[in-house]
Formats: sequence, C-alpha cells, structure tokens
Amino acid sequence: MSDNSKPFQSRLGVSRRQVLKGLGAASSLPLIGGFAPAFATGSDGRVVVIGGGFGGATAAKYLKRANPNLSVTLVEPAQTFYTCPFSNLFLGGLREMSKIAHGYDELRDRYGVEVVHTMAQDIDPDGHSVSLANGDTLHYDKLVLSPGIDIRWNALEGYDEAAAELAPHAWKAGPQTELLKRQIEGMDDGGTFVLVAPENPFRCPPGPYERASMVAHYLAQHKPSSKVLILDAKDNFSKQGLFTSGWEQLYGDSIEWVGLSGDGRVTRVDAENREVETEFGTVHRADVLNVVPPQKAGWIAERAGVTDDSGWVPVKPESFESQQVADIYVVGDATVAAPMPKSGFCANAQAKVAAAAIVAALRGDSAPEPYWSNTCYSLIGPEYGISVAGVYRVMDGAIAEVEGSGGLSPSDASPEIRQMEAEYAVGWYNAICQDTWGTEA
Amino acid sequence: MNVRLPRAATAAVAASLLLGATQQALADDYDLQLEVMAGGCANCHGTDGARAGSVPPLAGRDADYLEERLLAFKRDEVADTTIMNRIAKGFSDDELASLAEHFANVEQE
Repeated sequence: MSDNSKPFQSRLGVSRRQVLKGLGAASSLPLIGGFAPAFATGSDGRVVVIGGGFGGATAAKYLKRANPNLSVTLVEPAQTFYTCPFSNLFLGGLREMSKIAHGYDELRDRYGVEVVHTMAQDIDPDGHSVSLANGDTLHYDKLVLSPGIDIRWNALEGYDEAAAELAPHAWKAGPQTELLKRQIEGMDDGGTFVLVAPENPFRCPPGPYERASMVAHYLAQHKPSSKVLILDAKDNFSKQGLFTSGWEQLYGDSIEWVGLSGDGRVTRVDAENREVETEFGTVHRADVLNVVPPQKAGWIAERAGVTDDSGWVPVKPESFESQQVADIYVVGDATVAAPMPKSGFCANAQAKVAAAAIVAALRGDSAPEPYWSNTCYSLIGPEYGISVAGVYRVMDGAIAEVEGSGGLSPSDASPEIRQMEAEYAVGWYNAICQDTWGTEA
Repeated sequence: MNVRLPRAATAAVAASLLLGATQQALADDYDLQLEVMAGGCANCHGTDGARAGSVPPLAGRDADYLEERLLAFKRDEVADTTIMNRIAKGFSDDELASLAEHFANVEQE
C-alpha cells in the first residue's frame, strides 16, 4: 500500500453536513464510475487491522460504519475464516464445515475496507508501520490487533507441532477440526475419546465441555459402547453444574470428568502412542486423543511489544488500547479482559468499543463510555442448550460485571427452555456472523 | 438521547447518491455513544437489530413497545425468558429507554 494519505488532520471547519450538501449537488450529474469514487481515501486517518476473526472483522466494519472517511485495511492471510464457535457442532455431526466458513466480501464491497490476504510479519510501533509477508509496508495512525491465540508448544511436555498432527488440539478451527473429526469417525466402537483440558485462562472456557458433549452425542449414535474421558488441570469449570446435569440426563455415565484433585492434570503427552500421564503418574491410553493445550496471545502481539510476562495483552479498559504501546488497540482472546471471558462474542463487543474509541480519538474527542456484554451458549445435545451471560462496564478503572446482571441458565429449567436455548444458540451464531462478516452461513 | 434520522431526507439522499455518500449521510447521524451502548444487541439481533431469525428483530419496532418489554425483562415479568432477563438487568431504566428509541428509529433497508 502506498503512503499517500496524510496523517490525520482536522477537517478545517468543513462540517459533514457541508460535505453532504456538496455531494447532493453533484448527484444531479450522471453517475459514472461505479463505487470506486464513493469510498473514502482515508482523509480522516489510516487504520490497519490485523486478524480477520470476530474481533478484527468487527473492528474494520464498525470503523467504517462510524466514519467512512477512514482508510481501513484488514490484514488476514485466510480467504475463508472458520469459526471456533460451532466447530464442536461439526464434530457432533450437527453442522457442515461450510456452515462455519466466512469470507470478506461484505467488508470489501459494502463497507470499503481494503482486505489484504497476507501475513503481517512485524510491527514498528515507533514508525507506526506494519510489514507484510508480501513485501509491502502499511503505515497507520491507529493499529488494531486481533491476533487470537497461539499454542504454547512444549509447555505441556511432549506436545509440539508434530504431536498436534497425531493428537489434534482443534482449538483453531480448520484443518485441525477436520483431522479430529476423521479420527473420531475412524475410532472403533468401544473406544475412549480422551480430552485434555487446560488451566485458566484459555480460549472459550466452556469449549472443552461442549466438545465432550458433542463428541458424546456423535458416539451415542454411531459407536454407543464408546466413552469420553475428560482429564482436567482444574477443579472447577464454566457452567459445571449445568454440564454435569445435562451429561447425566443425555449420556448417562458415558462422559467421565476427572478434575485436578482427582489426579486429572496431565503433565506429559505421548502423541505417537496416544497416551497421557497425569501429575501422580497415572497413564491413560486413548483411542482418540484431543489435547487442548496451554495458550498465549497470537505471536504478532509479542512482535508489537504489547504482551506482558503472562503472554497475554494488558489493555486500557475504556478503549482497549495497549497499556504498553500507544496507538495499538488489542481486542479478543489475546487480551487480559477478565471478568470478560475469551469468547467470540466478547471479541466482537471489544472491537466495537475499540473502533468507537479510535474514531473519537482521530477526531480529537474522548472515547465514549464503554459497554460490553457477553452470551455464551453451549449445546449439550441438539435440543439441549445452556448459556451464561454478562454485562460489563468500567468501574473504578477496571472492567467489572454489572451487579445483578448476567449469570447462568437456571439449573431447574424445563426441557422446553433447554430446547429454546438450543434454538437461540443457532440464532446467536447466525446473527453474530452476520454482524461480523455479513455472511449467512 | 435523540437519534432519530431524518427519514424523508435520508431516503431522498439514498435514492440520488452513490453508496458512499449514503454511508456518509448515515455516519453523519451516527451517535458513537449510543452505538457503543447498543453494540452488544447486534450479536444476537444482527447489525442494527435488523436480523430476523429465531431471535426476533428490533429495528423499526415501536419504541414504547420495546421499552416496555425491556423493563419487563429486567423485572422478571416475562414468562419463559431465557437470557433477556439476565441482560436487561445490566442497564438502567433510562439506558433501556434510549436503546428502545434507538432501535425504533433504525432505518430499514
């Protein structure tokens, strides 16, 4: 991308209304040249967004919605993005991969976002530039990073990139998800699916338990003598009571969960033999081994200098600007945003707050007061949904859940309510994907 | 907060201008604060609350009706609610009224 747009300047007293009037007068002329002239040239500032998932795609869209005169470039290597949400439904046989696949046409064609399908290689915070794998350099006034997670290879002994080809993590949707699905389908009836769950924090806190549910659903239909064993590095997990009760109702004793206190923490993985060893030396043999490993912020965050010793990114709550590097805003799973969970919903919500803060800052205004919410649905069965919700604000300089808001589905809900939540889960997925990518899956 | 768009004016502009200019017209009335407050609603109700699915749309519905429903959710007065009671409790009554007004006035495509 050429560096022909000036850094942000004020509009020299020309109001939006006056600009609009000018365009109105011009509209009596014949329309020629298609959409190209309509898209802004970036006169109000240049924003580069790295990462085209829930956070990055939402940021790009909402930046352009708020101010079409921004130049917004989205850098994302993949032409097609597969969502982690609902990838468990693919494993359970409830949804095709093509129905969790999203592209970037709407961002490009409707909102005028420049979408570049290449990898961001490095960031120069002082020079306000990003170097790309295709050799180009992008200059920015404001940078948004939505890098998601990376696996901490070897943080769990024996679990490296080669091991993941034998014992998939499937914690980034795509080929890993398809590999795990093939392994489940190839498993003999009577086999054991072992899921290794990590300590907090990690992407999608209820994810491992929804996965166990969806795998159990598939096995109940196709390989009914098989079992699911969850080996967990912690003693408590998201929506635990709801999952446990749902498992008993739908799958009897075919899902077994072993927590930290029961020697559930896995300390070594032998992917070749599909064996794992726990803290106190118990060895479990799996027929299919699914390791959800320790994680950290996506690596480009480290290159930008925004991560701390934890491997995650501390941000200013009111804007999601990095606490460590000016003009770099970070959203989604990479951030430290507790009590907000690492969810696609939160990434989308954080991106809207960051986009508004950027639009305001480039106008010389202060950021609007932030609001975030979250709803995480999990499917235990095709007609059995549960949820956790939260509404968050900044209180005393930190993100906090609004008192009295949010919480879990009731433990004593009727089957009709569970069924409604399963339907709303699908409604949520379709709506958030429309809001993020403009795509109908 | 009043976010009412000049409907007739916007329609005329939309009819006569290029897409980008229409976006400009909309952006001209884009209330950043209200958009941020309403941002989370889109995650189930679609952008601008305009998506119809198993979750009902909000866009263009009567403001009084929306406000009444939101307050009823907040006070646990809606039978068989799943999550809206949990969400509505995160907002003040005034905020819920602003949200109702906002979605009532969303321009339908």
